[in-house]
Amino acid sequence: MSMYQIRPTSRSDVEFDLPICMYKLANIHSQQSRRADDDEAHQNWQVYPEVKALQNRQDEIMRQLYELEAVVSGLTKMVNTPDVDLDAASMSQASVGSALSNSLDLDQLLRQDCGTPRDIVINANPAQPPLSLLVLHSMLCQRYSVLSGIHMHSSVFAVPPELLSCLGPPIINGCSRQHFQLIFTIIWKDVPRVQLKFNTRRMCTVEGEGNVARFLYRLLLAPAKDPALATVMDSWVDTALFQLAEGCAKEQKAVVQALNFTLTKNLWLAGPELSLADVLCACWLMQTGIAATVPIKVHKWLESCENSGHFCGVYSLLRK
Amino acid sequence: MTDEDDFAEDRYGVPPMLQSQARLDRVLVRVQDLTAEKAGQLLWVRARIHTSRAKGKQCFLVLRQQQFNVQALVAVGDRASKQMVKFAANITKESIVDVEGVVRKVEQKIESCTQQDVELHIERIFVVSQAEPRLPLQLEDAVRPEGEGDEEGRATVNQDTRLDNRVIDLRTTTSQAIFRLQSGVCQLFRDTLTSKGFVEIQTPKIISAASEGGANVFTVSYFKTSAYLAQSPQLYKQMCICADFDKVFCVGPVFRAEDSNTHRHLTEFVGLDIEMTFNYHYHEVVESIADTMVQIFKGLRDRYEFQTEIQTVNKQYPSEPFKFLEPTLRLEYWEAVAMLRQAGVEMGDEDDLSTPNEKLLGRLVKEKYDTDFYVLDKYPLAVRPFYTMPDPSNPKYSNSYDMFMRGEEILSGAQRVHDAELLTERALHHNIDLEKIKAYIDSFRFGAPPHAGGGIGLERVTMLYLGLHNVRQTSMFPRDPKRLTP
Repeated sequence: MSMYQIRPTSRSDVEFDLPICMYKLANIHSQQSRRADDDEAHQNWQVYPEVKALQNRQDEIMRQLYELEAVVSGLTKMVNTPDVDLDAASMSQASVGSALSNSLDLDQLLRQDCGTPRDIVINANPAQPPLSLLVLHSMLCQRYSVLSGIHMHSSVFAVPPELLSCLGPPIINGCSRQHFQLIFTIIWKDVPRVQLKFNTRRMCTVEGEGNVARFLYRLLLAPAKDPALATVMDSWVDTALFQLAEGCAKEQKAVVQALNFTLTKNLWLAGPELSLADVLCACWLMQTGIAATVPIKVHKWLESCENSGHFCGVYSLLRK
Repeated sequence: MTDEDDFAEDRYGVPPMLQSQARLDRVLVRVQDLTAEKAGQLLWVRARIHTSRAKGKQCFLVLRQQQFNVQALVAVGDRASKQMVKFAANITKESIVDVEGVVRKVEQKIESCTQQDVELHIERIFVVSQAEPRLPLQLEDAVRPEGEGDEEGRATVNQDTRLDNRVIDLRTTTSQAIFRLQSGVCQLFRDTLTSKGFVEIQTPKIISAASEGGANVFTVSYFKTSAYLAQSPQLYKQMCICADFDKVFCVGPVFRAEDSNTHRHLTEFVGLDIEMTFNYHYHEVVESIADTMVQIFKGLRDRYEFQTEIQTVNKQYPSEPFKFLEPTLRLEYWEAVAMLRQAGVEMGDEDDLSTPNEKLLGRLVKEKYDTDFYVLDKYPLAVRPFYTMPDPSNPKYSNSYDMFMRGEEILSGAQRVHDAELLTERALHHNIDLEKIKAYIDSFRFGAPPHAGGGIGLERVTMLYLGLHNVRQTSMFPRDPKRLTP
């Protein structure tokens, strides 16, 4: 029994003639010639001044963009000329495809102005070092000339010595920081989760190992053109962090099975080469100690990861 | 009741002035040692009367010794007469007394005292030194947190009153804590450098010529001629380096005749100066100095006694705990300029940093790196003194550095030009009269090792570490353009 009864305001049997097309346009196939098209379009512009205004506005924006492009390329030549050679050298060593080559690209990726310091600061808790970031650091070093630094924050009282050298031996040649394309700074600090700070004025802190890893990985590759592949990669990153790192034994076992299934058909987890998915999954397999008891395919894949040369820091940390 | 009836008359009073008439076999217990473990013991204590409050047949006293205090009670009974209670109540605040009493545990903690678990039941009380009844400032007012007095209509003490009556102001728990911590800074500075192989040297403070360009010097009459008060021990540190001491430091007064009436300038301060040779790169020196600072900060952070002092100061002057990185963050000048420009500051590549820009930079660095201490390296050559070594790869810049605490400069240093010829050239470039600096240049004519150094101000370091806002708070008897006393 309903609480209120209301009489209908309209009859339900009324027939409406609803339009099936929201905007009606002239059929372009029925038009005879391009000339006719142009004429009609021309006439429309005459008819609709707002269209003309829009076109003028767009022309103006394009003109400004061309001007900006010219200024930026001029600045690039002026500022980044020495770096071009360095990038070219590193390009030849690069294993990751479709890479971006110079500092300008890096500035575009980081969305910042030319000439500003590219210092990526990562705050991490020494009680749970983010191993995946060490791998990504190694990959960045292959791509760019990177000045690496490790500091201990006053909020922590002691850090194992291996964590103070996990980015390799310090560069002590006294070279200016300006000569490096990228500065990579790890601060061992009492933080609940990994943080990345870059341009504190323009961007907020990136939090969580997965998000920080994604940020760093984007500096290695052009934006993913294949959304399906990007989704697969993202999914593996989440799997690594939520099921391998934080999951129970049952969940971890399920991940190993899924890894085995994927690696039976493919050499790598997402795409034709070592990717962020492989980095996160391999690191967390090793960090949780599951790596010792994985199926043969997963084991072979872990070996491939090791052979990539980017996991040296991780292995040396885990051995200690 | 008449005087004759006073059964306790030999238990209190004002004895003759202590002129070392006799050496009593009596142990005086420190107030800080009056703990629950001493409950039931009868002992002697020498302390100041911090406050006294008479109530009927009893009188509550708070006895203070440095930063520690304890509640004491004189009550009419077997051991104390009514006259004795009245005598105790009438002792002026800040007088020094010797009291004998029994330590008693209390059921409720005494929140207002440092010794919260016990009180002293006084059986004898003698005045050792009586304070005048009218105090120029009340200690309770002098330790009241900033702003609290305004809200509750209570008095606070302004800075000039404090400094005019510094002896009393220094008795406050806050002042006690500040200067104990400052002593710690000095001690840690010495210990760290000594362990690094430095030699402490003493340099003259009366000199014949200005040792450094820029800052003005005080002239003093010197028999039939004039002399100056040293504005920096730099020349002497460098001469020690030329004399093969390798690593030297000195702690001593530095005089600056600058008419700067700011929160951070003094005309006389304690300079902690370092100079050392290096093998290949002046960064060896930068790292050594920065590490010395970090060891000081770590010492203050890790030692219990300093943590207590910091907490005491924070009660009156709340501040964020001092944060730092190890090894110290080193940024370069171009980065600082870029960061400031990103924040909307308009400045040229070779412009010097203004004080507001230094502070803004400090905030930007804190935001990103979460550190209150950092080194800014590679200053433009144009803004540094003539003896600064130019950068070998970019003539616009120099091998010089500043160190900052909470966005304020605490140390300025550089690789020094150790070649007499280049030094002459640089001096001429700065239009400096060569005759006036002849002795300085001559020091480098007989072989000088490459070296660098710098100096910090003890008062400024203490002020900034504690997050205080005026260097006069951390100078025991400050000297500024308007103050020459006490």
